[in-house]
Amino acid sequence: MEFITKEDLNEIKTPLYETHVKLGARMVNFAGWLMPVQYESILKEHETVRTLAGVFDISHMGEFIFEGPDVIPFLQYLMVNDLKLLEKSKGQYSCMCYENGTVVDDLVYYEESPERFRMIVNASNVEKDFQWINKHIGNFRVKVKDVSKERCRLAFQGPKSDDLIAPLVDTDLSTLNRFYFVFCNLCDIPAFIARTGYTGERGFEISFENKYAETIWNAFIKTGAGAAGLGARDSLRLEACYCLYGHELTNSITPIEAGLNWLVKPKEGIDFIGKEVLIRQKKEGTSRILVGLNLLDRGIIRENYKLFKNGVEIGYVTSGGFSPTLKKTIGLALVEIQYSSIGTEFDVEIRNKLLKAKVVPTPFYRNI
Amino acid sequence: MDLKFPADLKYAPTHEWVRMDGDMATVGISDYAQHKLGDIVYVELPAIGVVLEKGSVAGEIESVKAVSELFFPLTGEVIEINENIADNPAFVNSSPYGEGWIMKIKISNPDEIKNLLSVEIYQEMIEKEED
Repeated sequence: MEFITKEDLNEIKTPLYETHVKLGARMVNFAGWLMPVQYESILKEHETVRTLAGVFDISHMGEFIFEGPDVIPFLQYLMVNDLKLLEKSKGQYSCMCYENGTVVDDLVYYEESPERFRMIVNASNVEKDFQWINKHIGNFRVKVKDVSKERCRLAFQGPKSDDLIAPLVDTDLSTLNRFYFVFCNLCDIPAFIARTGYTGERGFEISFENKYAETIWNAFIKTGAGAAGLGARDSLRLEACYCLYGHELTNSITPIEAGLNWLVKPKEGIDFIGKEVLIRQKKEGTSRILVGLNLLDRGIIRENYKLFKNGVEIGYVTSGGFSPTLKKTIGLALVEIQYSSIGTEFDVEIRNKLLKAKVVPTPFYRNI
Repeated sequence: MDLKFPADLKYAPTHEWVRMDGDMATVGISDYAQHKLGDIVYVELPAIGVVLEKGSVAGEIESVKAVSELFFPLTGEVIEINENIADNPAFVNSSPYGEGWIMKIKISNPDEIKNLLSVEIYQEMIEKEED
């Protein structure tokens, strides 16, 4: 038995660090932040989110505010998705890519007004993104501010999240459609509340000033919702087949390869970084593509395990694990295109043994 | 953390426990080990009849987040495995010294038993690991 032990000591704490420790959380370093990976049990937290509601501290994620008359044309230049599809009070998922089409980051931005946007980015990419964005501002009349460390971010997710949040807010959120957001009072505290999430359940992502973190967290716990950590966040997003930067999306994988063909828009007449490669890949396809896997033999598959067909390497696992909802081993993998159709079987190498896996439809589970 | 360590068992520094009955050793992982691993979702058991030296890898234990090896705490032959945990790996979490036992070994070198740790020494070792 060997365990991962001893964190280094330069970690950043979220405003809820003490709260997590008091709840008995196991704290781990994630992208430089000391985060709760689990409270009591990842499986239980996963189930709570699938059946009731769970609250996640996601304050490690980055939050930028864009302001200026050129915000929309600037984001059109940085993003693969098309902001013409966006409107005030709505958010949009997108990727920022390099010129070669591989991914700087995947993120969500919200249009508060045509001249003010809020963007939520991955914790591990905050500095890189902020530099990338500023490097490309050029003549665009835009100012970008990193407010990540001034604000607390929570995700409140689960089939009962609507019912449980209702008594805490002064606005009817039941009519808020997916990807739309409001500013309202949550426990009498001004908050940004969006109907977005990373679990495959209905729910909200929320942002407010740090000093209210404990009040709002405790109010959610008091509703009967469970505290959920990064472990459950990962198993939930894997079942729902949401890409995780560093796994399905990296600086050597394009959104088209990651199965996000729908995300890259033609944007005729609009130039954006990576456009040439991505539009070509969209038309002609790619030599490899992301697929969903079920393991047919017993075992667990993990990232970077290699895939073989008749002894020849054909790809690798980008994320894998046990699906608590489906009670079987699932994974996402990048495979050569000729082995990507549903029903294709091949081998996964697990510590020098070959186990059978099969390509299956994705997502594995969503209830939105 | 309220972990239990039965005093009648011997422990390996690699966190396996051993219950001796003549030349038969029942083996599992300690309460500390299951707690550190978190929710166990798969146990790869050794094959019956396998003969291995002390310290060899007997199988693997996968929790939601991690994979760990299970070692032979004593040299011997696997004569029985707990098939129940193949279907219910959570027994290793809920009952590490009972329903969650892993394998039974017919030991071939009884002299090795004295190198296993008593409960007091094992607990001291864990406390040091935690510091």
